[in-house]
Amino acid sequence: MGAASIGHRSDSSVRGRLVSDGRVRLALGVLGCVALVAIFAPMLAPYDPRLQLDISHLQSQPPSFAHPLGTDTFSRDVLSRLMYGTRVSLTVALVAVFLSATFGTMLGAIAGYVGGAVDAIVMRVVDAAFSIPAILLLIVVIALWGNLSVVTLTLLLAGVGWFTISRLVRAETLAIRDADYVVAARALGASGWRVLTRHVLPNAIGSAVVSATLSVGNIILLEAGLSYLGIGVRPPTPSWGNIIEEGSTRLSDVWWLTLFPGLAILVTVFACNALGEALRDALDPRQLLPAHDDAPIRMNG
Amino acid sequence: MRRYLAARLLQALGVVIFVTTFAFVMIHLAPGDPIAAALARPNITDAMRQEWRTAYGLDRPVGEQYVRWVANTARGNLGFSFSHRRPVRDVFADALPNTLLLSGLGLVLSFAIGIVVGVVQAERPGSGRDRWLGRVLLVLYSVPDFWLALVILMVFAYRLPLFPPGGMTDAVMYEYLSPGGKLLDRARHLVLPVMTLAILTAAGVARFQRGALLAVLPSDWMRTALAKGLSWRAAVARHAFRNALLPVITLFGLAVPAFATGAIFVEKVFSWPGMGLVVVNAIAARDYPLVTAGVMLLSVLVAACALLADLAVAAADPRIRLG
Amino acid sequence: MLRFPRLSARRTRSATLCIFATLAFSGCKGLEDTKSAGPADVGGTLVISTPSDAGTLLPPLIAVITDRQVTDLLYDRLADIGDDLNSVGDKGFKPQLAERWEWAADSLSIVFHINPRARWHDGVPVRASDVRFSVNLIKDRALASPALPLVTNIDSVSVRDSVTAVAWFKKRTPAQFYDLVYQVSIVPEHVLGNTPAVQLREAEVGRRGIGSGRFRLAAWQPGTKIELIADTANYRGRAKLDRVIFSIAPDFTAALTRFFAGDADIFEQLKAEHFARFANDTVRRMQRYPTLAYTTLTMNMKDPKSPAQAHPIFGDRAVRRALTMAVDRKAMLRNAFDTAGVPLFGPFPRGVSVADTTLPQIAYDTTKAKALLDSAGWTVGPDGVRIKNGRRLEFTITLPNSSALRKQYAVLLQEAFRKIGVSATPDVSDIATFMSKLAGRAFDMQINNYVTDPDVWGFKQSWSTAGIGKDGSNSGSYSNPLVDAMLDSATTTFDPARTRAYARRAFETLIEDAPGIWLYETAAVMGLDKRIHPAGMRADGYWSHLADWWIPASQRSARDKIGLRPTP
Repeated sequence: MGAASIGHRSDSSVRGRLVSDGRVRLALGVLGCVALVAIFAPMLAPYDPRLQLDISHLQSQPPSFAHPLGTDTFSRDVLSRLMYGTRVSLTVALVAVFLSATFGTMLGAIAGYVGGAVDAIVMRVVDAAFSIPAILLLIVVIALWGNLSVVTLTLLLAGVGWFTISRLVRAETLAIRDADYVVAARALGASGWRVLTRHVLPNAIGSAVVSATLSVGNIILLEAGLSYLGIGVRPPTPSWGNIIEEGSTRLSDVWWLTLFPGLAILVTVFACNALGEALRDALDPRQLLPAHDDAPIRMNG
Repeated sequence: MRRYLAARLLQALGVVIFVTTFAFVMIHLAPGDPIAAALARPNITDAMRQEWRTAYGLDRPVGEQYVRWVANTARGNLGFSFSHRRPVRDVFADALPNTLLLSGLGLVLSFAIGIVVGVVQAERPGSGRDRWLGRVLLVLYSVPDFWLALVILMVFAYRLPLFPPGGMTDAVMYEYLSPGGKLLDRARHLVLPVMTLAILTAAGVARFQRGALLAVLPSDWMRTALAKGLSWRAAVARHAFRNALLPVITLFGLAVPAFATGAIFVEKVFSWPGMGLVVVNAIAARDYPLVTAGVMLLSVLVAACALLADLAVAAADPRIRLG
Repeated sequence: MLRFPRLSARRTRSATLCIFATLAFSGCKGLEDTKSAGPADVGGTLVISTPSDAGTLLPPLIAVITDRQVTDLLYDRLADIGDDLNSVGDKGFKPQLAERWEWAADSLSIVFHINPRARWHDGVPVRASDVRFSVNLIKDRALASPALPLVTNIDSVSVRDSVTAVAWFKKRTPAQFYDLVYQVSIVPEHVLGNTPAVQLREAEVGRRGIGSGRFRLAAWQPGTKIELIADTANYRGRAKLDRVIFSIAPDFTAALTRFFAGDADIFEQLKAEHFARFANDTVRRMQRYPTLAYTTLTMNMKDPKSPAQAHPIFGDRAVRRALTMAVDRKAMLRNAFDTAGVPLFGPFPRGVSVADTTLPQIAYDTTKAKALLDSAGWTVGPDGVRIKNGRRLEFTITLPNSSALRKQYAVLLQEAFRKIGVSATPDVSDIATFMSKLAGRAFDMQINNYVTDPDVWGFKQSWSTAGIGKDGSNSGSYSNPLVDAMLDSATTTFDPARTRAYARRAFETLIEDAPGIWLYETAAVMGLDKRIHPAGMRADGYWSHLADWWIPASQRSARDKIGLRPTP
């Protein structure tokens, strides 16, 4: 449905639509700022994020001139922790999405192109994976590791992120597989690999990129959720989620611990989603595939 | 139709068995065991814990434990929860209705709001109203769910103490209230968690509904209906809406199980004693029977809902003929 | 502190009268000699907000703190330990189910005379055979009672007549009386006797809570509440309160919230951050209470990878001492407990009879700590972390995620160590993983919570060579012959003064040896509604005299007025 139009879309019109879209400018601006904070955190942060300034006098200070976002219960500067947390949260999300998008795209393309038993197996696995909320799956799996590192966490997040993309790319591939020019390429003796990489993937890549952009937001939310449950990024490494976790027991008095990291997540995820939507609109202005690519109900509950 | 149904049932059964086995194996491989968690008091010796392991057969190979579990489950015995020290069945009997109450209200409310907003948006796609609503929805869609719950708790229970900060009923006085007082007490406890769920889910539903409507609006019969002089709303109500509802039914099928696990975070923040909280705590406590049974119950729900949604779509859509 | 009355012959009579009077007016005060509570002050509801539900109401199977609290209120013992928690001989013990007892000349048996007026909550009289049943049950391996190791010195109990039980011991020990009367709660044979011991772990009968204590079970809604009401016809007198409700919240924060919302009268584990909320509170106050729980940072003396060898870092006494010097325990206490913290002076809480708060301490001194590490061969490497023979001075601090206090300390400790060039990483895991690491000795340092019993035996379990292995709780495998000898002597002497002297020597050596860093006494401040008047709190459980707590008639709230009507 609609795949043919995607196959024949013109790249210049896509670029034009993107450039003229206000959402894109806004989203790129926000993401740029967030990325700058992440990259230059050591220079921007007023304090060492681990430094306990004075555990018996400077703990839990409300926002002030010296500490614009206050201090936490260990007398550490929240602004500094938030900046370093940006690094952790953003890196985890971007790496996880890159890995899962690559893997999901490859698998989806292969399954769709090869078909048969391979396709059946991959799709049954995806079905099974969809039948448990990712958060529950992750909690069970994380229980296996006592103290998992940020790297392992990233791999795990990547491991639960590829289902949607592979399903999507498979659908695109199925549609393109029998398109005239692909059939022609095959008839001319192109190898399966060549057809896949030269004809199938380039056409499926658009929706994969849209889906990946949208899932950056989802992964940030998922990481924050896990950290909030105390099983994501482990303290004292700051991440947005575990700063909120630290504040969640102090809602009534140390509210700034909960509020600011939450706003950081909200703004970043919003920018990712806005960008993803703009991309989708640009690639498929008539939206023939209504929200097919992002899980409309967040399955992490 | 019968063949299709049989194939779908078989597939669902396969998924349930796979998922349950996966959970069983994973939780048994994880370090620690239910005895370590249940008998964690520092003055209980390791030797006594070992006796309990032997008594419950936890020192046997995982394969043997699995066979025993399958045999028990087949007989309808879900086992005994180590962390609750009660039969698993009783634990679920307490938690499931709580989750159904919260999720049921949350689902109905969020779909009602979401569908209405989606229709309002689709009426003039690209208009100021559509874009303004779209942005609000996108913000809500980007909110971390646990954070929204925390903020709502902070504002409406702590800063302005309008509602109780958690629980299902007044912990002490509930049983001594009049019937009207009981109802009011329950309602007061429901407001904040249901509100959180509704806001979070309605945003997704509305975005989905708008997309679904826009996809069917340009169709021929819609144009015909408008040409016949029907108003836009009437045309939508008579024709487009019915078609646009199909993907929403599918969405509902997806949402029911997500809610039935419990909106884990909402339950946690608002101290709602539902399935999500029970299963998450059971994982931390390595409560093997409770985790496995919980995952099984969940995957059955998921499979059943997906199946029902498919059948509902098939029933609603004349174009699909089930062979 | 309020004293429990001795049931002397003179008072027994007035007690009897009082029980009859109770039937007529609920105003009878029973046996108590409280001056401040008038007859009208009987009644009211006490709500305890707790984050943990009970799992069983069967005393031999208790596993979590709520089990212990509720069963202590529901079940009586033969005698109750005195407020000074003496465990040598029977000094200070007060009669409960046994109105009196006699020692045999060789001290290998004790005759207990059961109070003939004692009744189970279902009305059946308490008999000597119940004592025999209770001891046999706890010793039955099929039940696998966690308390089994505590009663190994009890050989058997025989029944002389329906109200006379004779307890036989294997050895004459200072704590033999305590072992029986403190560790064994008496349970009803007519209720439990028909269920095989192996089935009791899961049997519904284990949840009925039929005991002989001054409170009886009214309702238990799992995950919601456990409701006890006064046993109005109790042989020891009616409890002053009408009811006690354990209001169960899903987690710590929720339990705390209930307290501050006015839905509960007690919250047991206040932290420093909550103290400010009491400043202008006219309704609630803070109350310190003694406990037997203490928390230390325990170092593993053995290499977790090859347990036969000493730990490459903590095997060195100088390093252990240097690490201790790096920790500003006072500032940490202030961070975690504000002004209400109770410091540890060694591996013991202040509530035990052998506690000694005058022992010399290793003082906080980072300069000295650095110098000590330098001279031990650990020199500062390029990234600020010390190195010796190519090995970095880094390790993990293992702790469970269930404890907010310990998590807080882990972060504080990490930073304290970093300041002297030591890299410590908190290893936070769920309780099941934590326990398995402890059992497998697979940790470098762990923040462990110890709950000791009133007697000295617990210290032997935790810090002597005998406690290494699966029968003890010496998870750091600390072993010092001097400490062993002193703790042995402390557990075998019959003279309380000498017990204290031996224990002091053991603690002194432990402090100097620094196999751990003594952090804090656990959970020592509760939030309490001001209308509640407590009646003495013992270190082994603040709830020990709960039946004598009272609420003035003039300050009753809505929930105090429920009265004795049964739970719907």
